[in-house]
Amino acid sequence: MIDIKNADTQPSWCPGCGNYAILKVLKEVLATGAIDLSKLVLVSGIGQAAKMPHNIPVSVFNGLHGRALPAATGIKIANHELEVAIFSGDGDMYGEGGNHFLHNLRRNIGVKIFVHNNQVYGLTKGQASPTSDIGFVTPIQIHGQKLQPINPLAIAIVEECSFVARSFSGEPEHLKQMMLAAFAHRDGMALVDILQPCVSFNRTNTFKWYKDRVKPIPADHDCHNKMAALELALRWGDEIPIGIFYKGTRKSYEADNEVLAKGTLVGNYAKQ
Amino acid sequence: MDISIRISGEAGQGLVAVGNLLVGAAAAAGLQVFSGKSYMSRIRGGLNWCDLRFADHELFGLNERQYLLLALNETALEILREHTAPDAVILLDGKAERPPVLTVDFTGLAKQSGGTDIMGNTVAAGTIWGMLKYPLEFLENFLRQEFAGRDEIIAKNLACAAAGYQKGLTLPTNLTAPQPVHAPTSVTTGAAMIGLAAATSGVKFVTAYPMTPGTATLTWLAAHSERYGMVVEQAEDEIAAVNMVCGAVYTGVPAMTTTSGGGFALMAEGLALAGMMELPIFILVAQRPGPATGMPTRTAQEDLKFAINAGHGEFLRIVYAPGTHRQCYDLTRIALETAHRFQVPALMLTDQYLQDAEKNIVMPSAEYQPIDRGLVDGEPETYVRYADSPDGISPRAIPGHGVAVVVDSDEHDEAGHLTEDFAARIRQQEKRLRKNTGLLESFIMPEVYGADEADIALVCWGSTYGACREYVDAMNAAGAGKFAMIHFSQVWPLPGDRLKPLLERPRRLVVVENNFAGQFRSLLREVGISREMSGVNRYDGLSITAEYLAAEVKL
Repeated sequence: MIDIKNADTQPSWCPGCGNYAILKVLKEVLATGAIDLSKLVLVSGIGQAAKMPHNIPVSVFNGLHGRALPAATGIKIANHELEVAIFSGDGDMYGEGGNHFLHNLRRNIGVKIFVHNNQVYGLTKGQASPTSDIGFVTPIQIHGQKLQPINPLAIAIVEECSFVARSFSGEPEHLKQMMLAAFAHRDGMALVDILQPCVSFNRTNTFKWYKDRVKPIPADHDCHNKMAALELALRWGDEIPIGIFYKGTRKSYEADNEVLAKGTLVGNYAKQ
Repeated sequence: MDISIRISGEAGQGLVAVGNLLVGAAAAAGLQVFSGKSYMSRIRGGLNWCDLRFADHELFGLNERQYLLLALNETALEILREHTAPDAVILLDGKAERPPVLTVDFTGLAKQSGGTDIMGNTVAAGTIWGMLKYPLEFLENFLRQEFAGRDEIIAKNLACAAAGYQKGLTLPTNLTAPQPVHAPTSVTTGAAMIGLAAATSGVKFVTAYPMTPGTATLTWLAAHSERYGMVVEQAEDEIAAVNMVCGAVYTGVPAMTTTSGGGFALMAEGLALAGMMELPIFILVAQRPGPATGMPTRTAQEDLKFAINAGHGEFLRIVYAPGTHRQCYDLTRIALETAHRFQVPALMLTDQYLQDAEKNIVMPSAEYQPIDRGLVDGEPETYVRYADSPDGISPRAIPGHGVAVVVDSDEHDEAGHLTEDFAARIRQQEKRLRKNTGLLESFIMPEVYGADEADIALVCWGSTYGACREYVDAMNAAGAGKFAMIHFSQVWPLPGDRLKPLLERPRRLVVVENNFAGQFRSLLREVGISREMSGVNRYDGLSITAEYLAAEVKL
């Protein structure tokens, strides 16, 4: 038998991958003590980002490609006292999981979604993702991507997601603040879209490309102003805003549910 | 003695209302009742019917031919007339006389009695009740109960029922109706029995994308969600539903989804996830004719092999197929218990016929008695989710209760972390599949009904129970030979070695199925039943009846 165990080094990302920076920041965030690790469940689908939870010694549900959100929803409904956080990629969340993304925004369930958005498919080696820019050339899109990219932040704002933010793996302090704010957010779904370079398969949207363009949202932005948030979300190109775009005021799914008002499902199992 | 009545018309005409009134009154009177619906996939128009059967002996199914046909329109009369018994009474909604068909102007009588157009339904129910010469008070009491708290509506309905009843008494008919026998007065459906058992067994989370005929159970669960503390959530699609169920089960609550073949097809990947993660999820697959959209409102048993084989890769599942209302209740609990004991997904196969079929029964317990989930606390330093064990069952803890619980759709090590180590792969795959030994031991042997040492045994599974049982009774009573039924309420996994002696004994075996291909017959072959078996297969979208068997079983 071939013993491959020692070949299985963790983590499994390319040198220079933005995932290292995101993992480092996540570890810093968890080290602050702001989150009760015994109540934390990390959920992921499939992709490079989805391998992230295996590096954190907490409860982990690493499910199917595109299905992190429904699994996380089931976990949160079964025990809404758990802190449920998803680590997903642009293909996993916005492509294969697009329908779940759309409808869980409507549900406004209190899970935190961190999307490692590198505008390309990494695990399958370099095809276009739902966020790839028009003209992006790949081994499949040989004449360049022609489909309009998804604008996840604008969609989330339109659907009244209660916390919508963007950060960049190359701005670790900013990312840390966004993660902490997302974890601190208590009233429904939190989406943090994290721009990150893919050093192997995306030679267009490089570290420098993002670094030159990201620009913190001005301090005077009113994150309860939907139209202003939408206007910011529609900006892409020479200038890419990062920060908290929008905070909705809808009740979370769990706060608005008649049965969950009586306690968690798992906690009430012995009772009727 | 029994009588079969068909209420027919177009969708939206209220034929279900007429049926409900008659079933309610008959059960209250102490008659044995059975009722089924046959409807087109549309909200208005078309041709729908509702079959009622009243008897002085317990009923398990419907009749092919009717002794009384109520046609609420001409189409119903034209199409269904030829399916009635030779001396059947036919009642038509209308003004013009046209013997030998009896005509009654239900709406006109309703208006004359101070009621509204819609109360023509009550007049119709009253007319039939009068033709059967049952005491009016049972229909009256049922109307009072149906419209409790709405005195004006009750008064008008009582007047309409009485007018119809008097009309019915005067109609010239040769109908002989069975007499009440103090039968159980509670009427329920297969769909509701599954819902009740799930709710009382501790299912706390239900999510589904609406799909006929599974929706009937989903609707029951939603209606009772507050009483039993369940969250019922409509999913965006079946993929979401099964993955949400996986998440909830991982977190420690029994959870289920309801669907039909097409929706179940979308769940195949999620079912494999439950297989890999060893999650005891529960899926109700209420079958209808396929492939693809097929006949959405009709009945079939076409998804047996699909249920047994759905999902990629090799993993275990248990599949149940209740044949009666009571079995719907009992097997739902058994499915949840067995799934949790072995940490495998459980499927239940019903169909449109059984989901919608109404029958009077002694109601099983509605008390909340949650099943043992088989959970452990685990030691924080040493707990691993997929520890190897002689029977393949690993200690299952849940997140948020002291230990980290790691589960993965990838192949994983004992701790649940993904691995590509070949040795770990072999260990985990063997551990998961080793549980089959215990599953086979937990197999529910088929029910053998009728004659010992039978000349002809009907082998059946799921909802064909009633038809086969009635056929066996009729043939044995007629002295046509020694007949038996061998009914499987669990259809996977099948212990071929234990089934062989049982299935070798009858002189002939006829496998009865609501499908074309004889899927169960083929499964029996797969597990080593090599003897000669013939089949009776019906695949027109309607349920098998005793009369159908009488015509199709070659003696």
